[in-house]
Formats: sequence, C-alpha cells, structure tokens
Amino acid sequence: MAYNVLIVDDSKSMRKVILKTLHLSGFPLGECLEASNGQEALDVLEGKWIDLILSDVHMPVMDGFGFIRSLNEKNMLRDTPLVFVTTEANEDRLNELMSLGARGYIRKPFRPEEIGAFLSNIMGETDGFRVGTSVEGSDF
Amino acid sequence: MGSEWEQVLKEVISEVLETMFFAVVEFEQGEASNHPFDYESEILLFNHEGKIVISLQVSEEFARMTTADFLGIGQEQVKDDDIEDSMKELANMIGGGYHARIDDAKWELGIPMARKIGPGVPDTAKNVAGLGFGFFGQPAGSAHLVRLPV
Repeated sequence: MAYNVLIVDDSKSMRKVILKTLHLSGFPLGECLEASNGQEALDVLEGKWIDLILSDVHMPVMDGFGFIRSLNEKNMLRDTPLVFVTTEANEDRLNELMSLGARGYIRKPFRPEEIGAFLSNIMGETDGFRVGTSVEGSDF
Repeated sequence: MGSEWEQVLKEVISEVLETMFFAVVEFEQGEASNHPFDYESEILLFNHEGKIVISLQVSEEFARMTTADFLGIGQEQVKDDDIEDSMKELANMIGGGYHARIDDAKWELGIPMARKIGPGVPDTAKNVAGLGFGFFGQPAGSAHLVRLPV
C-alpha cells in the first residue's frame, strides 16, 4: 500500500531532503504534498486525504505546537499519525508534543534507514502493531 | 571559547555535515585563520540566563558543494536561494545538536538565519575567536560560539 504524506517545514530545502529520504528509505510513498507552516498544512488537509504527516516544530505563522493543537480540535490525529522531524532537543517540549498526540519524533540530522524503519513501524501501528515512539527509543 | 565547548561543537559539526551533507571536514589546530568566507548562518539558543549564539561562515565553493549533496542535485542546478536555505538548516541542526549535548535542557532554539557576506553585509564573526575547518586541505569555513548574559 502506498501512503499519501504531507511534509510541513518552512525550509524548502528540508522538504526536498525529507522527500528524497523517503524515496531512498524505501517507504511506500503515494502522493507527497508540502506546506511551509501549520496553517498551510491545515488548508491542505481540508481538501486531501493524508495518511501521514511529517512536521517541523519551529516554523513561522503556525508552529508545531499550534498545528498539533488545531489537529486535536478537529479530531484529526486519530486517523492521521503526526511525526515531528525536528532539531528540538528540549525534552520537556518534546514530551509536551507527545502528550498532545504526536506519534513520535525524529531528530535532525537523520539517516534514510532510520526514517524508513521508524515510519514503517508507525504505519504498522495504525494497523494494530505496537512500536516505540522515537528513533532513539525504538528497537530496530 | 573554552575547550569543552570547542569539542562539543566539533562533534556536532562533524555529525551534521557527515550525516546530511556528506562532507567530512578536518578541524584546524588552535584558533581559526582569518580566511574570508562568503556565507554566514546563525542560530540562537536562549533561556532566562542568557543567550548562546552559534554562527558559521563558509566558502562559496563549500556551500555550493554541500548544498548540492544535501538536496541530491548537481552543483550547476544549485541556486543562491538553495544555498541560503541549506546553510540555514545547517545552522539549525548544529544548534539543535549542540543543545542535545549540553546538560541544561532548558534552552530554546531560535529561528536560524543565513546570508551572503558581501559589500555592506559584513562578516559579524570576524573579530570573535573561532574554530576553523577545512575540506581536502582547503579552508572551508569556521564556526563561532558566543555566550551572552541577558
């Protein structure tokens, strides 16, 4: 099964790199859409079915915290897993994102194989498998 | 800049450049040489006690090559905007990596910036002690870390 992915990052370069990494990792990618902040991502989600959201935390207009809170208000996180791809190192802030419903986080810099294995597990989880919640914490 | 900070910064710069930009750099011994560079990027970490400013200056050649490798495109396809955006991400990842390695978890990361150094846009780090690095024997860039009180 191929998955539609939404990449949310204010850096055009990073969006390209994440897309390239998804291809390299062997992740079964369907359509890939992009947004440069949380608000743009919400607009995309209004009109398109997305299977997985990969989002940065630090963004102008609407950051990752505003984005995940909006998704919660719309009850969208149950069907669409959100994984943060971030340089954030503050454990309190990462834990807050997890408590708000993020399915996990991937720290930049990352390797394609880490992304592939992590995301496969995440997508498997939606089909009933139990997985870890961060690259560091997962047992692959 | 204390040697402990230098060591942490070296580890972070090496990790980010090797993992995401596919470049292995060699660090100069002692302070960075006064070599002029072409691009500057910067990231701020801040908390109630003060700020840490990490800045990076790199040559046009190194910036173009690493941007091409980062994006997976040929160097001839790299635009100036791509370089600035990639250098911004480089600073962002170095700032995040530095934060992850220091004990105090209460720092917050700012929004990174990058610009081309040129007429009217001075290299702000040129009077600050830094950490120089090279690529295949050529000066490629330098990194600077400054701690400022509130």
